[in-house]
Amino acid sequence: MKFKYYIALWASKLAIVALKITKHNATNFPGIVALKICPDFLKYVAKPERIIAVSGTNGKTTVSNMISDILRADGKNVMNNSKGSNINTGIVTAFIYGTSVFGKCKKEIAVLEVDERSVIRIFPYVHPDIMLVTNLTNDSIMRNAHPEYIRDFLNKYIPKTTKMVLNADDLITSSVAVENDRVFFGIDKMETDVTECINLRNDCQICPKCHHKLKYEYLRYHHIGKAYCPSCGFKAPSYDYEGKNDNLTDMTIEVKDKEGSAVYSLPNESIFNIYNLVSAVAVLRELGYSHEKLVALFSKLGIDRTRFNEIKVGSNTLIKLLTKEKNALASSRVFDYIHTMPGDKEIIWMNSCQGDIESWSENTCWLYDCDVEFLNHESIKHIIVCGPRRFDHKLRLKLAGVPDDRITMVEKEVDAPSKLRWIKDDYIYVLYGTDSFDLGMKVADIVEGLMQERKDETNG
Amino acid sequence: MVRVEVLFPEIANLSGDLQNIAYLKRCSDEIEVIEDNLIDEPMFLSEKPDLIYLGNTTESGQKIIIEKLSLYKEKIIELINENVYFLVTGNALEIFGRAITDNDGKNLAGLDFFPIITKCDMLNRYNSLYLGNFVDNENEIKIVGFKSQFGHSYWTDKETSVFDKECGYVFDTIKGAGLNPDITFEGIRKNNFLATYIIGPILILNPLFTKWLLKEIGVTKPALYLEEDIMTAYNARLVEYSAPDKDFIYH
Repeated sequence: MKFKYYIALWASKLAIVALKITKHNATNFPGIVALKICPDFLKYVAKPERIIAVSGTNGKTTVSNMISDILRADGKNVMNNSKGSNINTGIVTAFIYGTSVFGKCKKEIAVLEVDERSVIRIFPYVHPDIMLVTNLTNDSIMRNAHPEYIRDFLNKYIPKTTKMVLNADDLITSSVAVENDRVFFGIDKMETDVTECINLRNDCQICPKCHHKLKYEYLRYHHIGKAYCPSCGFKAPSYDYEGKNDNLTDMTIEVKDKEGSAVYSLPNESIFNIYNLVSAVAVLRELGYSHEKLVALFSKLGIDRTRFNEIKVGSNTLIKLLTKEKNALASSRVFDYIHTMPGDKEIIWMNSCQGDIESWSENTCWLYDCDVEFLNHESIKHIIVCGPRRFDHKLRLKLAGVPDDRITMVEKEVDAPSKLRWIKDDYIYVLYGTDSFDLGMKVADIVEGLMQERKDETNG
Repeated sequence: MVRVEVLFPEIANLSGDLQNIAYLKRCSDEIEVIEDNLIDEPMFLSEKPDLIYLGNTTESGQKIIIEKLSLYKEKIIELINENVYFLVTGNALEIFGRAITDNDGKNLAGLDFFPIITKCDMLNRYNSLYLGNFVDNENEIKIVGFKSQFGHSYWTDKETSVFDKECGYVFDTIKGAGLNPDITFEGIRKNNFLATYIIGPILILNPLFTKWLLKEIGVTKPALYLEEDIMTAYNARLVEYSAPDKDFIYH
């Protein structure tokens, strides 16, 4: 088998050369080649001294990039899969890049973003020293069923030797790998917290011990918050790494642990990103970094506070927002965000799954787990539904109470911009999915073109 | 009042299933919804509801619900025999069978009302569209929907089950899987106990079936909320699913 491994390594190295010549860089092709020749390639490939895995429903790309960037800023030779995918072919590709033609590992540390369902193909051969699980929330019901299923799946494959860094504000995540060495991060009460869930989706409503309904000292959204059982006394784990005193004016948060604390700059005001920062600090602290050094390293990175590709032309502002299709929670977060933003808004809602159009039809159950009700807000003056699921989207908006006169329906996404009402100073949101990314950019370009025309007319 | 009893909404709530009842309520002021939590004694023990609803749940949810409903088996059998309406969606159907098994060796005993064995493949989720007919006396209604499940259920000999396998089915499949991919009969029907593998907002997707149900459970003026929009969406989906080249199994 070792012979096969070397054939696979060399063939995939040649594939990398071919890709460079043809200017195809970010691809899993080398990994696909390697696995075709040697299916247990990961068993034989040389590993770096330390391996960090980052998984979870949301934030794993951002956090793994953040950790890699900090390690690189500290001069470490880091392997990661940011240029490929987070499934086994992407992980294998990262290892191929990190291995010499003689099979020696060229990197000292790996930071791997790992898709939750891909652990079955990765963890039998790659044993992380530290694994972060950011959160486990509702995702595609077709692929991921429900968060408990993903928790149980992770539990089956996470090596017993891996130290876990887990989100204490998510009871599903905090019940991952209970027999492992574990530490927890979380964020103390925030100004926007509530105590009762207002979302349609709440995947953790009962006490795991006695099945009474859980209560929350504070709740952020869905099942993310500090839970306790008023009946049996069950409590969410305490924080080993606690985000506290968040200050959205200064854009800072303090992260405290048993050895001290420091104030870190926030990338933006979204709670998702505050969790991302706290979890990254927790992992880096576990790697032995002092707060002092981390604050210095984070400041070296600089912070890009550009928000969501925001473009202002004339009196209107275009905002392109990824709104993952077939994902109730991701869409709920976007809808929640939009309704809290200042100004009048128009929305082009176009995140139908394009891949399903050809021969299948999108499973639209997610619309009824999604808090479309956030779009029934006085500041949202007009919503254009378009694409293959436009009838479903219109019905869902009306069930959410959005008045008929605020909804326009057009068949084709590219025709949606022509239906904009151009309310003075309004914010135009284009909501596209991962699957409709290219189409979303095309529609956004049309909107931007119209904005420019309107500006020119006004100036002319 | 027409009383709809929702069983264990805190755990039987996946894939938007609870919106079925939210929609029913919006169709008629006559409907009163009663939610039974796990720690409550179900209302059906003391009063007869007009409809009992149980939605799609997690695997641990199935186990908890089986434990809870096992306490009231006799009463539930009595209600089924008295023609009380039940609507059971998604994998909640499996709770009423003999056993739920999986490829890791799980063998969870169900309520054993019906002689079905569920076989789950926890590594491979079965996703499909559904098109079928609902037939009840003179009514024939086209049904559209989604399936997303780990298990399929297979009829077996009566042995210990309360009802025999001559029980009826809920839908006659045109495209998609029945109770399992080998048969066209979908769901389980015994008197007015209706259990289907279809998940999610089945009553929002199928307005004609909803109207039938409203009438059957005793709503005096069955009318659909947002009828025009809901019928438009239904008709569009029906055309889409009826297209001969439409692939039903998700690959």
